Amino acid sequence: MNISTFSSLINFRRVVITLTLSWLTLFVLLPHLMVLLTSILSPDSEHLVVWPITLDNYTRIFEPIYANIFWDSLLLSGTTTVICLLIGYPFAYFLSNMTPTLRVVLLFLMVVPFWTNSLIRIYAIKMIIGKKGIINSFLLTTNIIDTPLQILYTDFAVVIGLVYILLPFMVLPLMASFDKLDKNLIEVGRDLGASAVNRFIHIILPLTAPGIIAGSLMVFLPAMGMFYVADILGGAKTLLLGNVIKNQFLVVRDWPFGSAFSVFLIVLMAALLAIYHRANSYIQQKGGLDDENL
Amino acid sequence: MTFKTLTKIATGVYLLFSVAFSAVAAEKIVIYNWTEYIPEGVLAQFTKETGIEVEYNTYESNEVMYSKLKLQNGKGYDIIVPSAYFIAKMSKEGLLYPIDTKKLANFSLLESTLLDKDYDPKNKYSVPYVWGSTAIGINSNDIDRQSITAWQDLWDKKWRNSLLLTDDVREVFHMALRVNGHSTNSTSETEIKQAYELLLKLMPNVLVFNSDAPREPFLAGDVSLGMIWNGEVIMAQEEDSAIEYIYPKEGAAIWVDSFAIPVGAKNKDNAHKFIDFMLRPEVAKRTVEYLGYATPNTAGIALLDEALRNNKTIFPPKEIVEQGEFFSDVGEANKLYNKYWEMLKAGQ
Repeated sequence: MNISTFSSLINFRRVVITLTLSWLTLFVLLPHLMVLLTSILSPDSEHLVVWPITLDNYTRIFEPIYANIFWDSLLLSGTTTVICLLIGYPFAYFLSNMTPTLRVVLLFLMVVPFWTNSLIRIYAIKMIIGKKGIINSFLLTTNIIDTPLQILYTDFAVVIGLVYILLPFMVLPLMASFDKLDKNLIEVGRDLGASAVNRFIHIILPLTAPGIIAGSLMVFLPAMGMFYVADILGGAKTLLLGNVIKNQFLVVRDWPFGSAFSVFLIVLMAALLAIYHRANSYIQQKGGLDDENL
Repeated sequence: MTFKTLTKIATGVYLLFSVAFSAVAAEKIVIYNWTEYIPEGVLAQFTKETGIEVEYNTYESNEVMYSKLKLQNGKGYDIIVPSAYFIAKMSKEGLLYPIDTKKLANFSLLESTLLDKDYDPKNKYSVPYVWGSTAIGINSNDIDRQSITAWQDLWDKKWRNSLLLTDDVREVFHMALRVNGHSTNSTSETEIKQAYELLLKLMPNVLVFNSDAPREPFLAGDVSLGMIWNGEVIMAQEEDSAIEYIYPKEGAAIWVDSFAIPVGAKNKDNAHKFIDFMLRPEVAKRTVEYLGYATPNTAGIALLDEALRNNKTIFPPKEIVEQGEFFSDVGEANKLYNKYWEMLKAGQ
């Protein structure tokens, strides 16, 4: 390599780093700082925000009405996470045991829908579960039911939509965990006479715990913010935390409160990530095995 | 390839683009309108006749449009189409640019009953585009249309989990305020609170809120009864004639959407040209045919087929207009409406 190409390489690296940093500053750091600033200003009906700095916006988050919405949101996101885990865990297990080719094909099939905008896919679900949708038409023509089921515009429909969109985020970290799982440990367990249930509880489950936690976080947190799923499939009745924020910005025009709510969500997310980090290092420390019971 | 040549190419491409852009920018207009709110082909015809390029954007609520313009200090768009009560609010806040009606040759064609209203005296800031109403939609295949005559009927317990309401705070409160015998534009906290308490009793009956296209759940068979706008019914009838429109006896909500020019508009002259173009009788006629809403353009109405001209869903009889109520700006009371709206949605 001669000197000139070497120096242009360094230049190139510098350019890339500068570009990335300015991108992040401009589109991530600055907007967040603006949100943070807005969250401590006062709302005003004629101007979006006015000066006196206040913490009222944060205290308002703890009003009972928002506690209610928070609880509902938590319940919906929690249900979504559990269902994703119940479907995703066995699926990830099978995936990790497949031949590489089959595995690539299955992963590909899982990711393909992501090439279509999620909003469009949510509209498709709407057509499937509506009163004249595919499910109801099928059940009606086969005489299994005689009045159409009300699935669309219920909490259940919201959960269906959330699970559908978020499932891959559960499967991918779980699969990574299963890949790292040392099959020899299971062999050893079997040789030492541990039953299948015991092998699962004492070896597989603890070793894939980081995947479970990571997957759950990646489903749970976005689920609370997906306002359009609640709007389209839930009939705009059930409010996720994302709906509250959207309404504050677009309808009520109380930007400070909307910002405070966003900051609150970010803090919550950070706290959950910290817990994940703790749990992860705890598992690493113990070698991943809950040896107390062995 | 060295980095220098790369930058050179990049600069070249950039220059090329900026030249192309400025060539287009010479004659341009940026329109910000409601979704599905302009007849097909009209924009293309406007560009063809005037050479003015149209950049077209849409919104689904006054609030969204207002927030955006407020944030941009009235810049970014040349034409907006707010509802009357937002014209009042925005002109008061200095967000609108005065319209010179002398530049509008077709202004004289407009019906005088819809001009010089309280929300905009002498039409200083707005030119009415279409007007319509919010009343009751019904699928007459599923429900006997004679059985529904009033907003009050929606409170019947037999409609549990089956109604559609528009996702619009003022329209939903209109219903309850009128059932209680109060004005749509009430600013009294007691009256708004009473309306909220009445609406709480309606909530178990509500299946869905929809303000994008309320006709869709009717057409999909998911709802058979609820609030709807008259134009949506006209559009729905093209696919299913069983969907009908009922003016409730407590009075429909009536609204006017008007053209306005934001104060920071870059192409104010073009905006005037566009408004005048939209006021042509032939365009007004097509607007009614396409949107199903009424035009205030008398010459446009004269061009319509007799069936459309006499369609009571599009052009309500005089007594229904008098019985109904126009929305106006409620000022600070907006906060109250929003507060109770949020409580209603959160189910408290």
